Amino acid sequence: MKKLLSTLVSLACAVTLAACGSGSSSGSSDAVTYGFLDETLGTESYAIGFRIGDDELAETVTAAVKALVKNGTYQEIAEKYPDIKDYLSLKAEDISDDEIAEQGSGDPNFTFKHGFDLDYPPYSYLQDDGSVGGFDVELAQAVCEYLGWGYEAVPFNWDFKDAELNAGSCDCIWSGFTKEGREDMYTWGITYSSNTQMIMVSSNSGIKTLDDLAGKTVGVQISTSAAEMLEGDRADLAATFGDLKIYETYTVAYNDLKAGAIDAVAIDVTAGSYLIANDQ
Amino acid sequence: MSFSTMLSTMIPGMFRTCAIFFLTLLFALPLGLVVMLLRKSRFPVISGITKVFIAIMRGTPLMLQLLVWYFSPYYLFRLSISGYRFTAILLGFSLNYAAYFAEIYRAGIEAIPVGQYEAAQVLGYSKFQTFFKIILPQVIKTILPAITNEVITLVKDTSLAFSLAYSEVFSIAKQISSSQTSFTPFLIAGVFYFVANYLVAYAMERLEQAFKYYD
Repeated sequence: MKKLLSTLVSLACAVTLAACGSGSSSGSSDAVTYGFLDETLGTESYAIGFRIGDDELAETVTAAVKALVKNGTYQEIAEKYPDIKDYLSLKAEDISDDEIAEQGSGDPNFTFKHGFDLDYPPYSYLQDDGSVGGFDVELAQAVCEYLGWGYEAVPFNWDFKDAELNAGSCDCIWSGFTKEGREDMYTWGITYSSNTQMIMVSSNSGIKTLDDLAGKTVGVQISTSAAEMLEGDRADLAATFGDLKIYETYTVAYNDLKAGAIDAVAIDVTAGSYLIANDQ
Repeated sequence: MSFSTMLSTMIPGMFRTCAIFFLTLLFALPLGLVVMLLRKSRFPVISGITKVFIAIMRGTPLMLQLLVWYFSPYYLFRLSISGYRFTAILLGFSLNYAAYFAEIYRAGIEAIPVGQYEAAQVLGYSKFQTFFKIILPQVIKTILPAITNEVITLVKDTSLAFSLAYSEVFSIAKQISSSQTSFTPFLIAGVFYFVANYLVAYAMERLEQAFKYYD
């Protein structure tokens, strides 16, 4: 009986492995590419969220960001992040000289605690050399340097961002943070970037429009704007899906898409472009 | 990111994982003894409260407990929790594991026949001597396999610290994975946990051998 059982178990293992093998080999075929549908889910703007009542801090940071746009630092940082360069919304010519903060005008004893998610490329993530970076992190560091503040990185778990902010472990949420739908929940600093939520599919999926998603399985990362959109404004669209799978990270969702386990991924165009561009 | 950079980025995380592991054991092993003694107290109020404590510690997810320990100072007392992250993690882990250890200790103590206490009394041992010279060495012998189980679970449970964004090895693996769109960091983390547990199992086996002085 024991022998029979162990034979069965090893047989089951072999079958499972074989199934996995054939699945991944077709998934990694060279002809398949990944791209976005032309129709978008929606557009949002990214801004810096402060605790309600922290108006003075919000204004100081906003004035400092404007100064960095005026002196070209903002554009310089953007050059390093090709995936988001086209989505930055601030321009030097729109800013007048009386709006900007003076260099070194901050309290030198103040340490600015920047709260962000380390899982959110290209805004805040681990760089190739293992250091903490990303567009938002570099801009926040530049703000602190410009004002003469100390900088402290406070990476947190995105699911608990509000608890972290309210409890004072950080001074702001600044990590590709969507303003739409949260207008009254924070004191908002400057809107510095925009983004579009799109549907990522493989070239051989046959999906061309949002209507083609009917009955299909779509993946999304938990607590992202794409997820909130599919549960809120675009719930009608989500209702046509066969299944909406909520993932812990987009990396897993993207791998599931490549492996053929899901048909599409709802994602920010910048995060999606980053995934496609950095696919190894 | 090359494999060696990945590894060198994860090494500080491995040290942080080890820090959680060793400090939790350092606090939880003796604390478990205290909890066990309270649990066995003759006063029903004390043993009752301890029972409730153990029930909560064992009956709710450790991840939830970590969140409660970390955020409750602010939500209950409006205290700033800046810089309190690691303390909250140790508090959560130590109290949770102390509850499990207490029950293992209790099982070990209750396995000793009453006759041994009586014999010790006849031979003129004090209560203190009886416990430390006769009962405890036998208890340790009996409970070692159960403790090994729990310690191995602790190695893997350290990854729950990611919920408080403490950059132990699993959090870093997750971060590298999303920035590099690669699963290799998880593989590295898996090997790390396996090797760590292999070492734990090996050390505990040696310890068991050392206690087999009657065989």
